[in-house]
Amino acid sequence: MTNVEPDLATVPETVGAAGAPHQIHVELGDRGNHRVPAGEPDGVIELANLEVFYDKFLAVSGVDMLFGSKEITALIGPSGCGKSTVLRCLNRMNDLVPGAHVFGDVRFHGVDMYGPGVDVIEVRRRIGMVFQKPNPFPKSIYDNVAYGPRVTGMKTDNMDDVVEQALHGAALWDEVKDKLKQSAFGLSGGQQQRLCIARTIATSPEVILMDEPCSALDPIATAKIEDLMVDLAKTYTIIIVTHNMQQAARVSHRTAFFTAAADEHGQRTGRLVEFDNTGKIFGNPADQRTEAYITGRFG
Amino acid sequence: MTTSRSTAETAGGRSSGSGRPPAWRGSTIDLGQQHPRYGERVIKVILVGAAWLSVAVTIGIVVSLLAPTVTFFTHVGLGAFLFGTEWTGGFGNKFVWDDKSWGVLPLVVATAIVTVIALAVAVPLGLGAAIYLSEYASERVRKVLKPVLEVLAGIPTVVYGFLALTIFTPILANLVQFNTIHNMLSPGIVMGFMIVPTVASLGEDAMSAVPLALRQGSYALGANRMKTTLRVVFPAALSGIVAAIVLGISRAVGETMIVTIAAGSRAQLTFDPREGAQTMTGFIAQIASGDAPQGSPVYYSLFAVGALLFAVTLLINLASIRLVRKYRQVY
Repeated sequence: MTNVEPDLATVPETVGAAGAPHQIHVELGDRGNHRVPAGEPDGVIELANLEVFYDKFLAVSGVDMLFGSKEITALIGPSGCGKSTVLRCLNRMNDLVPGAHVFGDVRFHGVDMYGPGVDVIEVRRRIGMVFQKPNPFPKSIYDNVAYGPRVTGMKTDNMDDVVEQALHGAALWDEVKDKLKQSAFGLSGGQQQRLCIARTIATSPEVILMDEPCSALDPIATAKIEDLMVDLAKTYTIIIVTHNMQQAARVSHRTAFFTAAADEHGQRTGRLVEFDNTGKIFGNPADQRTEAYITGRFG
Repeated sequence: MTTSRSTAETAGGRSSGSGRPPAWRGSTIDLGQQHPRYGERVIKVILVGAAWLSVAVTIGIVVSLLAPTVTFFTHVGLGAFLFGTEWTGGFGNKFVWDDKSWGVLPLVVATAIVTVIALAVAVPLGLGAAIYLSEYASERVRKVLKPVLEVLAGIPTVVYGFLALTIFTPILANLVQFNTIHNMLSPGIVMGFMIVPTVASLGEDAMSAVPLALRQGSYALGANRMKTTLRVVFPAALSGIVAAIVLGISRAVGETMIVTIAAGSRAQLTFDPREGAQTMTGFIAQIASGDAPQGSPVYYSLFAVGALLFAVTLLINLASIRLVRKYRQVY
């Protein structure tokens, strides 16, 4: 990658040749345009005029988005642009941040997620989350996966089956089937992250949020998680925050580019710049800032 | 393995053997120490001295405890001491061994009963406070409450003892029948209150040390705060929590003033907490502050009881280390 300003047209190919040792599941030749059906997606989560404050600091403003069902949506942008903040609004993890306030509409199948009578536990069961650093519980592999169904009081005929299915779903079963009772901390970082994914899908969510899920992993473990994401997108809606633009280009159907702009008081507020098919964002972005970011001129 | 390593060494290591010698061979640059650094040495000596002094003091205590204890056991059998049910060490002719009973069980049982009562108060209250402070309280509440709790730990125990005798015992007398003003229930409960800050503060430290990421993982799976606390945070902090409880036990076993004041000085074997009974520490305080002529039997018995107390605390600590290792969840 000596080329500081690579020709736009060659970006995906360069990535494919140099950065990905594994089989890439999506054709990059037509820049992923075929992955998305034409027109508006079949929406799962809708954001309208989203604003997030941390105390008096406006972190994100004016975000309107529609997340498509069984698609992978990537949120990209420079540090501090509010993409993680937006992600954490989607299953109300921002509730845990003292001083965080969310305004605007966050709708899940049309239901206001922040409305009265909404049980945050039910929200999080349906919209799971995988974190930046693998965070398995200091328990056995089995208990890690069984944790969600147990604490949410899910009615299961056979917990063993639930655990096995979830581990199959996270492509981890073959590696751990003989040591389910061993501590999750004996697993490698990549395995731990797949365990966290298994733990999430054990509660049968509809949406999985991923906050830079590969940033703590080596390239091979990253490749496995990316393969897994493409697989999971057949069943689940996936929304991923990533700093890795190649990753966004490799796995996502749609990409949203955020950036932060300072107001007259010097406060930086994150805004959504462009949200479109991944092929369009990386091939022919409408906004100059998007183009500058993906070509490495800023951010 | 060996072959590959040695190959690697010849290949990538120093270019010994063939090749020209480096141009700077015979250089006069001196990379040795340029200035003497006395300050560093002095500090090191002081620090090493401090570390060894504390070790030496500990050893000194054990040795000075041992010699009189050995003298005691030349006159009293170990079995008679450990399993005898009557303790009359303070009575009779001060310089005669044979007219007294040296069974330490009454003192041990009294200590155990008071300790159990204290723990029954301190563990639930202390852990409850720890859970509240670590998991429920807002930052502002925690900032006020934790120092207050720690001040509670600084109240002199003699004050607690006085409190037990003059306030708690009369209150309890309305509920249960006491034969004398001295009993084990009241000092036990008050001692429990005394230990609450220790358990709460250390327990809170242990639970706060559990990474936030684990809590987030739990919340993200739909667990509520109680389930997150009990199923994730508490098990992960268990080793620290056990350590907090063990320190509480050690404090209860070794606590002296409260029991001396409120549990009385009658060494009697009883399992009834409404009765007054002398504990090991109570006995030591009473005799050591009274007339125990050096070289008298009761003087030597002080050391024997002290050594037993030391052994009990040591055993509790060792047991707790094993327990913690067994149930520890490393995160």
